[in-house]
Amino acid sequence: MYDAPTAAEQALQQHDIKISSRNVQVYYGDTHAIKDVDVDIEDKTVTAFIGPSGCGKSTFLRCLNRMNDTIDVARVEGEILLDGENIYDKKVDPVQLRARVGMVFQKPNPFPKSIYDNVAYGPRIHGMAKNRADLDEIVERALRRAALWDEVKDRMSAPGTGLSGGQQQRLCIARAVATEPEVLLMDEPASALDPIATSQIEELIDELRRNYAVVIVTHSMQQAARVSQKTAFFHLGNLVEYDDTSKIFTNPEDPRTESYITGRIG
Amino acid sequence: MDVFWLVLTVLGLAVLGYWLGRTRALRSVAGDSRYLHSLPSYYGTNVALMTLVPAFFVMIAWLLIQPLIINDTVADMIPERAAQGAGELSLVMSDVRRVAAGLDAAVEQGALTEEEAASIRAEFTDIRARLGEIGVALGQEVSASTLRAAQVYRSMTASGSFWMSVVVLLLAGGGFATALMRTDKDFRARNVVESGVLAILFLAASIAILTTLGIVLSLIFNTVEFFRLYPIDDFFFGLTWSPSFGGGSELGVIPLLWGTFYISLIALAVAVPIGLFSAVYLSEYAPKPVRAFAKPLLEVLAGIPTIVYGLFALLTVGPFLQSVFGDDTVGWMQSASSVMTAGLVMGIMLIPFVSSLSDDIINAVPQAMRDGSYGLGATQSETVRQVILPAALPGIVGAILLAASRAIGETMIVVFGAGAAARLSLNPFEAMTTVTAKIVSQLTGDADFSSPEVLVAFALGMTLFVITLCLNVLALYIVRKYREQYE
Repeated sequence: MYDAPTAAEQALQQHDIKISSRNVQVYYGDTHAIKDVDVDIEDKTVTAFIGPSGCGKSTFLRCLNRMNDTIDVARVEGEILLDGENIYDKKVDPVQLRARVGMVFQKPNPFPKSIYDNVAYGPRIHGMAKNRADLDEIVERALRRAALWDEVKDRMSAPGTGLSGGQQQRLCIARAVATEPEVLLMDEPASALDPIATSQIEELIDELRRNYAVVIVTHSMQQAARVSQKTAFFHLGNLVEYDDTSKIFTNPEDPRTESYITGRIG
Repeated sequence: MDVFWLVLTVLGLAVLGYWLGRTRALRSVAGDSRYLHSLPSYYGTNVALMTLVPAFFVMIAWLLIQPLIINDTVADMIPERAAQGAGELSLVMSDVRRVAAGLDAAVEQGALTEEEAASIRAEFTDIRARLGEIGVALGQEVSASTLRAAQVYRSMTASGSFWMSVVVLLLAGGGFATALMRTDKDFRARNVVESGVLAILFLAASIAILTTLGIVLSLIFNTVEFFRLYPIDDFFFGLTWSPSFGGGSELGVIPLLWGTFYISLIALAVAVPIGLFSAVYLSEYAPKPVRAFAKPLLEVLAGIPTIVYGLFALLTVGPFLQSVFGDDTVGWMQSASSVMTAGLVMGIMLIPFVSSLSDDIINAVPQAMRDGSYGLGATQSETVRQVILPAALPGIVGAILLAASRAIGETMIVVFGAGAAARLSLNPFEAMTTVTAKIVSQLTGDADFSSPEVLVAFALGMTLFVITLCLNVLALYIVRKYREQYE
């Protein structure tokens, strides 16, 4: 039986710092989207980014695995350290970085391939399996971890796009997990799903915390309170407050945070 | 009444009707358009449509049918000896029309009165000289029967167009009055106008389809006629193509189909890789300015008439290939015309076709697919190869099949580039020819439409039509079947 840790317990469970950002600025053309963000993301912890729409939380999330590189007009300044190494350093290959920092998107986006090929995609391109049996094992493990194995084990060659929305999103999570990342970024992973699928995803996130640092962007404050241990509140491109989730939701320091979580702004 | 004035009158009536209908509708609610069922302009449009559509419909039908009936009647008046066979009859008929037009011109210029033109007799007057005076030249003396026929032709045309004017004006007026009477604040003008517009749209769509049907039917009749003169299995399985108008032709389609197939194959072998690579470059890698510049430029290639490509094949590619593979070097190529020449140039013609269609299809692959792949640590080329191309594949296959249809139907490049000899050979440096090129050569020149050597063109056309139809259906089927995969 799993009990939610109390605030005191959480404070004791200090983990290593996985990602730390210093003085990060992001510009989209002339727009200054992220201003001076300093944040330390802990390993084996779920960190939630909350804030009103357009506050920059998704943008910041996409900085963590350099997905903003694919947008021509985006420019990132400052330092983001993954295990002490600056990921914006010239000698870092964004492709290898993304293998270490996986990502799950808002809308389920399975490839138009079979379920098996969807999950095997990452392991194949990274050469993680020596032979077919190895690959089978990786795929099965990823699907089990994403709590999807039992539902799809008899139709591995069916197209991934034929699954329901919640199953598709778990497939995408399995696909991300299969490459054995160290950090998993999730951009509103449940916003396109119904409540039952959402609760499945949330259970899954809690499960994933054992192995990974998970960073989740969410619009739902209840979701942030349910799944995360740390919460960061963004407002107009600034990181307003970053603390233990229990503290943010019960006793926030900044008046803006309080206004947001009580529903006065946002 | 002249058709031009008739049209103008009806149009004027429609404009008037629009204005009156609108005004009347507004008056029925004392100027407050909120109480009308529809917007005021719908009432006006209703009157205008009721005036225009039936009147014009009848007018067009009348204009199409009247000459047929008159021709029929007049043709019966031509005595047997003057007209033997269909060709003779059509010659006499064109004489009749010329004389009739001459009489019209004479009346117009005042050389003859209306009564004289109607009663003039070939026995008493030299018609040819009289018409010659006013500038209507006739090739031969006008016989009595021709003149009679011309006079009947004139009077029937005159009375026909008189009655047409009456009927059209009555219809226009009737529609005008009916629509105006019905105009009232509760009349559902919008519904009526919209169903009227729907009917017009339907008509436009069915004209396109009916035309296709007409084309197919005209092909079928001539094809059937051909197979009555020439055995069907000799046509489909004959290995020799040697038409001779003196008789004893061998009209086997296999060499032509082989030439078509071979040239298309080379064309696709050129166009598909180049077109596809350029599409991948343009849609995935090219910086915006390059794309904005290169894509229209590539599409300009598609706008070049194929005859220009034909000249390119004849003047540049053929001689170049001959200098490389000709007698001076390896001796594979006897003349500049060859399958390779036509295939290469046709391939160049198809590049923009393949690349532009594929580019659109690749662009239609959702960004989420790319993000998902990049998010897993895939490189750009892995993403293109393993996610984007498979997702776009059905569309690309469709594009290629459409390109194949075009290659099969291409004529000018073949005429200039591949030569005219129908031959069954594997050597791509030999001259061969295709179905389309042979259709042209069988139908040009002094064609006698009752000999199998000419009629074979229709059988060839039908064969080609069926092949490209199958290809297009297959292309559409593939595109439809896989379309929803990533939506």
